[in-house]
Amino acid sequence: MKRTGNQLAPAFALCFFAATPALADVEFYQSVDRDQVGLEDSFHLTIVASGAAEDAQIQFPSSSDFEVLSRSQSTQMSYQLGGSGASFNRTQKFVLVMRAKKVGTLILPSAVMTTSGKTYRTEPLKVSVKPGRLPGPIAGRPKRGVQVPDPFRGFPFPDEPFGSDESDQEESIPFRGTREEADVFLRASVDKQEVYAGDQVTLSLHILSRVDVSGVDSVTLPKLDGFWSEDIESPTQLSGEQKLINGVPYRAFLLKRLALFPVKPGTLKISSAEADITTGFIFTGRRVHRVSNELTVQAKPLPPGAPSGFSNSSVGKWRLSAEVSQAQVELGQPVTVKVSIEGRGNLKNIALPSLRGPAGLRIYDPTTTDKLSPAHGRIAGKRTQEYLVMAQQTGLFTFSALSLQYFDPQTEVYEEATAEPVSVAVVPAKGGAIAVGGDRSHLPSEPKNVLPAGGARPLRYRASFQGEQEPIWRAAFFLPSLLGPPAVWLGLILFGLVRSRFNQQDEGSVRRRRTRAAHRRLARADALKASGTAEAFYAEVEKALREFLEVRLGVPIIGLTRTVLAERLDQAGVPEEQRVRILQVLDACDQARFAPGGNGGQRDWVLAQVQIVMMDRWK
Amino acid sequence: MIHLFWLSLLSQSYYTPLEAQEIFRRAGEAYYREDYTGAKQEYLKLLSHGYGGSDVLYNLGTACLNQGELGDAVLYLERARRDEGNSPDIEANLAIAKSRQLDQVMGSSEDPFIERLANAVRQRAIGIAFVVAWGLAFLTLSLSRFLSGGRRLMARTIAVALLLFAVANGSLLMIRAYVRRTYTDGVVTAKALQAREFPQDAGRVSFEIHSGLKVRVLESSGKYLRLRLPNGLEGWTQAEGISII
Repeated sequence: MKRTGNQLAPAFALCFFAATPALADVEFYQSVDRDQVGLEDSFHLTIVASGAAEDAQIQFPSSSDFEVLSRSQSTQMSYQLGGSGASFNRTQKFVLVMRAKKVGTLILPSAVMTTSGKTYRTEPLKVSVKPGRLPGPIAGRPKRGVQVPDPFRGFPFPDEPFGSDESDQEESIPFRGTREEADVFLRASVDKQEVYAGDQVTLSLHILSRVDVSGVDSVTLPKLDGFWSEDIESPTQLSGEQKLINGVPYRAFLLKRLALFPVKPGTLKISSAEADITTGFIFTGRRVHRVSNELTVQAKPLPPGAPSGFSNSSVGKWRLSAEVSQAQVELGQPVTVKVSIEGRGNLKNIALPSLRGPAGLRIYDPTTTDKLSPAHGRIAGKRTQEYLVMAQQTGLFTFSALSLQYFDPQTEVYEEATAEPVSVAVVPAKGGAIAVGGDRSHLPSEPKNVLPAGGARPLRYRASFQGEQEPIWRAAFFLPSLLGPPAVWLGLILFGLVRSRFNQQDEGSVRRRRTRAAHRRLARADALKASGTAEAFYAEVEKALREFLEVRLGVPIIGLTRTVLAERLDQAGVPEEQRVRILQVLDACDQARFAPGGNGGQRDWVLAQVQIVMMDRWK
Repeated sequence: MIHLFWLSLLSQSYYTPLEAQEIFRRAGEAYYREDYTGAKQEYLKLLSHGYGGSDVLYNLGTACLNQGELGDAVLYLERARRDEGNSPDIEANLAIAKSRQLDQVMGSSEDPFIERLANAVRQRAIGIAFVVAWGLAFLTLSLSRFLSGGRRLMARTIAVALLLFAVANGSLLMIRAYVRRTYTDGVVTAKALQAREFPQDAGRVSFEIHSGLKVRVLESSGKYLRLRLPNGLEGWTQAEGISII
């Protein structure tokens, strides 16, 4: 409650004692906030008494045509300095919430105040009562200054000195039920009419009653199509709290409180809830069926610009973490990795990023545990996924860093929660005390450093770059390389053929060539004279001489007898002296071949004879 | 000013070999950070600037494989195989990619021997070996004409051996050229493609194929390609979702 007058109370008190003020003039009047009401409506009667003594007696209007639903009172003290000196003013204000009992033009009688031996009466008020309900001013608030001046207008404090007293508790509910239904009814309410899809809206279901409620059963909750719902509060016992509804005091009993998360954008409807309510007690109890109001919630789409990997269920405010149970573990022993997400939002629907690790670790499917801890009507808590990881290889293994993209509806921006990478060192298992040479078959098999095949092959570390590859047979060099070598080879063959052809046609050149060959053989014989064997020497000499004679005679001489040869030489016009030399040389060669052992002087002589023969220009 | 403009333009469109190696290294680092998208972008950057080759293609295919892009993974690994021939790492990763495919082609037989042979050879190496052996064989034959006796015999023996080697390589090259000229293979890179009975949108859908499937392209008609699956199943499908190897 806020009492504005109290803020300056010390100053007033000081003034009060500094001067002895007189009481101001007495004012006493009453007003209603509306002069036309429905039979189902409530209205406010405000009675103001100003300048009355502290012991003033006030009687409120009493009429069988009206019932008083509630009454509230406030007092205001003021101190004024005027021409006639200081004056002290005390103002009391009474607000009565009333309801008419019958239709027609009804008279609200005068209020009566007795103070300082005097009696004051207010003017009676005329109220026109119609059947049903009538639209009017917001109920619960007196319509000031319509019929009478506001006594606090111009007062140097906030504009609504009395209004603030009731604002914290008083609610306005458009209620369209009958007069009887207004005594006890079901009310569904949401804390927000417009939220982002995935953000929480809290639905509360209350029984509001002006009569005693002894029990509730057959509660049918509203249909929540388009929402993901989580239970926040479900009281097992009825526990009421005081509330002012349209100025009328009610007891509010919470039946259910749910956290709703729209799963898609759009206008989502929350249908009516129903309940059977028992009022009164054992003998006076009565069971009534009540249906709550319907609600709509506007779910806004998330703003554009969502990062890649964002899931629509990740709305709220989250913190991600990862921890490993042991930093070092023996090969074959399990290790637990906990991935946790903590914060507020739809915890049950949020998808944690999967734990990924190197190939040497076998990661089993996780177990998920949720710990909800709603605070102030908001779903919050912690979801933990525990992965059992079995190391199959030794080494230091690092699990990848985890990240979760989410949308924070409070800041209206996309954010990222990250968990740092965690590592575990896997060391070889200790062998233990195993007896050397003993039978080990009964012992459990030792964990091995498993190096399985498979998995994608690693990248290549070095690159030899190549442009877009044309097939090699389309390369410019390919055809010349294919045709060139055989062409050269064929060219050489042709050249040889042509040359030999030319050589065959020119007899003189053949003779010259063979003569040169004979001279070459003679030169080789000369070389063999000193170093070679007699057989080789004489063979060369004979070949040289025969070659020479065949060129000169134009016929082969091999196989000719000495006689025939002599005749041929004679026919060829070889002088007698030369013929003898030739025959002697040939005889010497035959002799050396068939009777080896000739001396070196014989070789000189034979060589000289042949040279003489071959140097002679006969024919 | 104009010089500066051209300089900046050239610097963006051209990488020196050292810069290309640096990008290649950076891509590898991104891959091992499990940033497969980043690695893929770097490899594509190299390809777009003319720095291709089987190493880049293999790494790109492997990055796509880890990223879960089966179509691109099979495409680039097949291209790496086309350039390099059969290689253990290419074959291994291709086998993984194929094992993850959605399509299981029933009744498919192994590729004909001639195709397997053509795919197994490294065309560039075979081509160069052929050209060198061919040239040396005829050079040796030519030289042998100027030799005599035992040298000539030896030279001719070497020439015949070289010629046999060249003919063997040339045959492989011819097979490769024939296969390449005769057959066109492609990979489904779209997530899913409908194969129709004839090349029109109104054609009845015969079957559906999914990313990563290797198909033979038989002919084209407008925006449609006629495909044949390894088991002989044929259909017309939109060319957009097929990438030629």
